[in-house]
Amino acid sequence: MTGIPLNIDFQQIMLHLFNFTILFGALYILLYKPVKNFMASREQYYADMDSRAEDALRSAEDSRRTYDDKLRAFDEEVRSEKAKLRKDLDAERDRRMADAKADAEKLLSDARTEANRQKDEIISSAQKEITDMVTDAMEKLTLEQSASDAFDQFLDAAEAGAEQQ
Amino acid sequence: MSKQERRKAIIVFAVLAAVFLAASILTGGDGAEEETIQQVMRDAVLHDLNKVSLFGMAVNPGLLAGVIVSSFLIIFALICRIFVIPRFKMVPGRFQLVLETVVGLFDNMAKGNSKINGFLGAYIFAAGAYIFTGTLFELFGVQAVTLGGHSISLPAPLSDINGAIMMGCLSYLVIMSGGIAGNGVRGIGKTLKEYSLPISLSFRLFGALLSGALVTELVYYYSSLSYVLPVLVGVLFTLLHALIQAYVLTMLTSLFYGQVSDNTPKPPKEKKGKRGARNTSAAAVS
Repeated sequence: MTGIPLNIDFQQIMLHLFNFTILFGALYILLYKPVKNFMASREQYYADMDSRAEDALRSAEDSRRTYDDKLRAFDEEVRSEKAKLRKDLDAERDRRMADAKADAEKLLSDARTEANRQKDEIISSAQKEITDMVTDAMEKLTLEQSASDAFDQFLDAAEAGAEQQ
Repeated sequence: MSKQERRKAIIVFAVLAAVFLAASILTGGDGAEEETIQQVMRDAVLHDLNKVSLFGMAVNPGLLAGVIVSSFLIIFALICRIFVIPRFKMVPGRFQLVLETVVGLFDNMAKGNSKINGFLGAYIFAAGAYIFTGTLFELFGVQAVTLGGHSISLPAPLSDINGAIMMGCLSYLVIMSGGIAGNGVRGIGKTLKEYSLPISLSFRLFGALLSGALVTELVYYYSSLSYVLPVLVGVLFTLLHALIQAYVLTMLTSLFYGQVSDNTPKPPKEKKGKRGARNTSAAAVS
């Protein structure tokens, strides 16, 4: 094309443009896009891996928290169970002690009653024996011996009875 | 390798270098200097003398270079797609790391500059790859035959002004598409405000690559400059250019894209009254 300085030729500009357009298309399809896609897929792969790791970490954290909660609840349950058992034990001990005390008092009272009863029995039997002895002695004195002898015998018999008691 | 073997290898290397040096001096003649340096320089800028044939059309050598570079890149991408990408691993190897770094670089550049970054990343990736590979292509000195029957070394595709204009204008259109995506019709206005952008983008690229091409042409034109110096020139004007220009164009495109596609409302400016201004200046004095 004449008249344009520097030998500028529109046809050749268009040919250059055509050439470059084909190059652009080919490079985009063959090189740029596949490489970029691969880089994006790798980025996605590592992002997924990262998110999976974060999820696993979060889940482990949750599990640990749940475990801690359960452990705490269990401790609490054990503590409350212990307290309850201790309370029951105390109540049982008090009950048994009260029973034992009541039994002991009853035993003591029975023993005392029995002792009193035996004492009364002994006293009454002793009195009876004394009365019998006295009666015998009086009969003997009256019937067989003199009064003094009878009196002496009476005294001897009374002393013997007292010592026996 | 023993000392003797090493010495032998050095001697063989020195002899071969001397033979090639002598051969290059002895075979130098009129053939290499068929065109004057003025013609070479002019043709490097204008591409009006040495046209090459592309599918029957007479085109600038830069276009042929562009087609070759594109074909190379497409074949490379195809090989990667078939043999490399399906074997990508979660822990990347060296080559995978290179591919991922390059794609990630442009993708992040797009994402970092604009919230609405649809195909910006893909565009700057393709543009960066094209500029970088195209500029390095110059280093290999791929030969082509002109319509006039001369043998020429193919230049970088973007040292052809038509290629540079295409890249600059296309980048401008991509920026405008960002403006439309972000701000609708207002985005077109915002993009049109930067009316000098296609010219600056095109000619920056053209100028940068052309300067490298010119210096390289100059150096290669004279056989006396063709020893050792091309190594430095090749590295400085080709490798660095490849990196810098690829970075500059992609960075500018994504920056302007982000600027015109930005739809966050601007905070209202505080208007300072005369009294307020007076109080401020008084406070500053005290």
